[in-house]
Amino acid sequence: MAGSRALLNRWKWHLRNTDRILRRQSAFKLWFILLFAVGMEVGLFLLFMDAFRYLKTMGPMGAMVIGRLFSLFFLAMGMMLVFSGVVTSYATLFRSREIPFLLTGPFRIRQIVLYKFVESTLMSSWAFGFIVIPFLWAYALHESLSWRFALWAMLFSVPFLVLCSGIGTLVTVLAVRCFPSGRIWRKALVAGIIAGVILMFWSGAREVSQVTGTERLDLSRLVPGLRLASNSLLPNWWVSEGMVMMERGVPRRALMLGLLTYSWALLLGMLVVDAGAGCFYQGWLRVSEGPRSIGRSPLLALWLEKALACISPGIRAMVMKDLRTFLRDPMQWSQALIFFGLLALYFSNLRMFRYHVRSDEWRIVITFLNVFSVSAVMCSLGSRFIYPQLSLEGQGFWILGLSPLTKRQLIITKFTVAAAGMVVTAAALGLLSTRMLDVDGYTRFIVVMLSMTIALGVCGLSTGLGAVFIDLEQQNPSAIVSGFGGTLNLVLNLIFMLLAIFPMAVFVRRAADGGTEPQVFTVATFAALGWLLLLLLLTVLVPLLLGARSLARRDY
Amino acid sequence: MIELKNLCKYYGDIRAVDNISLQVPRGELFCFLGPNGAGKTTTIKIMTGLVKADSGSAWVAGYDIARDALSAKQRMGYIPDMPYLYDRLTCAEFMQFCGDLYNVPAERLDRERTRLLELFSLQEQSAALVRDLSHGMRQRLIYAATLLHEPEVLFIDEPLIGLDPYTIRLIKDLLRARARGGMTIFLTTHILALAEDIADRIAIVNNGQIIAIGSLQELKAQHPGINTLEDIFLHLTGHPANGGECR
Repeated sequence: MAGSRALLNRWKWHLRNTDRILRRQSAFKLWFILLFAVGMEVGLFLLFMDAFRYLKTMGPMGAMVIGRLFSLFFLAMGMMLVFSGVVTSYATLFRSREIPFLLTGPFRIRQIVLYKFVESTLMSSWAFGFIVIPFLWAYALHESLSWRFALWAMLFSVPFLVLCSGIGTLVTVLAVRCFPSGRIWRKALVAGIIAGVILMFWSGAREVSQVTGTERLDLSRLVPGLRLASNSLLPNWWVSEGMVMMERGVPRRALMLGLLTYSWALLLGMLVVDAGAGCFYQGWLRVSEGPRSIGRSPLLALWLEKALACISPGIRAMVMKDLRTFLRDPMQWSQALIFFGLLALYFSNLRMFRYHVRSDEWRIVITFLNVFSVSAVMCSLGSRFIYPQLSLEGQGFWILGLSPLTKRQLIITKFTVAAAGMVVTAAALGLLSTRMLDVDGYTRFIVVMLSMTIALGVCGLSTGLGAVFIDLEQQNPSAIVSGFGGTLNLVLNLIFMLLAIFPMAVFVRRAADGGTEPQVFTVATFAALGWLLLLLLLTVLVPLLLGARSLARRDY
Repeated sequence: MIELKNLCKYYGDIRAVDNISLQVPRGELFCFLGPNGAGKTTTIKIMTGLVKADSGSAWVAGYDIARDALSAKQRMGYIPDMPYLYDRLTCAEFMQFCGDLYNVPAERLDRERTRLLELFSLQEQSAALVRDLSHGMRQRLIYAATLLHEPEVLFIDEPLIGLDPYTIRLIKDLLRARARGGMTIFLTTHILALAEDIADRIAIVNNGQIIAIGSLQELKAQHPGINTLEDIFLHLTGHPANGGECR
């Protein structure tokens, strides 16, 4: 009991002191973040409203989609929350520096697990609020629902968050404890999971492509998860149906669904604590003791070291260090692999949905939506991993500071290493998507150029701003990313992405409509490429110059 | 108060702790010396429950750390070489937090908190956030917080890292006084002068094994002709600095 009281007090003091720390920050920074948050909420609201209006123009099919969209939204949120729960609970339960402190204190293991589960749930689900508020706001306005809808939404969302985070945490605790330690078994398990995901995706896509006739065909094609979202055995349906029933004045059914959600949330909470009491300590020991020797260098690193024999040893050393660090940090490569892998899987199955036989107009829309997805993932990875890389040199920065490398060489090397991986991936995904959609060579060229430009821009902005807002004292990447510089970087990346994609999409679509004269078309193509070049200068050259200047001015 | 029986810990082929057995009675200040990678920190981590032994047992304050960890932890304190502190708490709040963890009665907690903050010259920083403290101040704070619940057994890993001469003196005097008052203190260090200065008994560990144990006088008696602890240490561990490039 004493331990629990102390931990609750810690949260209370922590919150109070956060207010104190915020007061120390510059007013500009706080207003900037606040305005950005409000702007994002309003922007999302407008986007959702527009989507609802668009669906309404589709007649009965649109109305049917809107009816099911609510449950689809919670399905998508739930899947993201579970994934987020897995990542966050691994960080809070197994990698946090607080755990050794707690383990040497007079706590029961289940107390530590519960405390960290709550923390992980809060951390993994704060973004849920950001997205769910504008969606529900737009939905309520569109459907002319009363203010009470907000209350029902809150009451149903809380257990839903706990439930999803509970699944994620449970998976993490059990996986860390039971993951095979032998190298062969480990590789076999990973290969099995990947094969399973591919098979599941393929069979699902095949099923969709085999549906014939009827309205459901079009609905399934339009939104592949719609049937799954309406499955009454899933919590996303309980929550969405419960809220709607409450609003429609069917409280008994809503209460039943609410109690069902709460009871599952409590059950998941209990399972997490019980599984944690049995498995967490052993799992933590496994992670913290880890292998003392990482074995031989990865083959890719050995090959690259030979390939880079011609460049200056200082730069080569820097490249190899960054590459080895990346390969030895599963957090980095696994996230990149998962996001890009899922996109590649989706693109390679586009023909299953028969998108390639649709009209030019639709294919171009889908092509640019795909570019948008790839770019959004690049923005996210750029902000999460490229932006903090200079700050994470941390206390070891003096080694680079004293080395014969100039600050300009240093920043260009960081940019080149990041860009090399990102540009190749973006171009490959662009080629795959356009090939599967069977678009013309011109659109393919524009899409690949666009994807590569965005990859370079994201790397330039993230590396440059990472140097301008370098924080060598901070060891926690999340804190670096969520600071002022990190937020600004994410915002600028998103703005850059929209500025690059939107005009190109409009231009290519108009060209496909035949609405442009041949001469105008050539001029417009060059203008479009010029626009990309200008954006490239602004997002690569300027930030890198500013970053190099900032590094040169610093004391180490 | 501390009892290790045939303690072993392996990392693959490396024997980090190799069949260590020892007893440290109540009120003794015991110093664990050894070169880098000798197994000092692993041993201390086994005793605090942060690492699990592959075989053997560790008893702290009468409790087996593997079987009754909670009872043992209620009676011990641990100061690691790089301690974790909550950056967003003030010094006073962190002290209160640590006191609450060990269920220190409110009145005693208030009294001891004020006394220890004064003792470690932190009274002016009482309302300062931990994140704003210098390295030395953070070290002093962790000492103050760990002593708050008056542990029966205190483990310290490298006790003098980052401390100024004034604080070093303060810590040495404090540890001696606490040991005289009945606290069992187990510390690891590289600073041989510290061991010479304050330890009741010293163990020298190399490659996971205890290669010598006893008071300073006993160690000297075991190695006639060698006058200082430094020479005994270098002689026993066969370190290349015992001659080597300096010659």
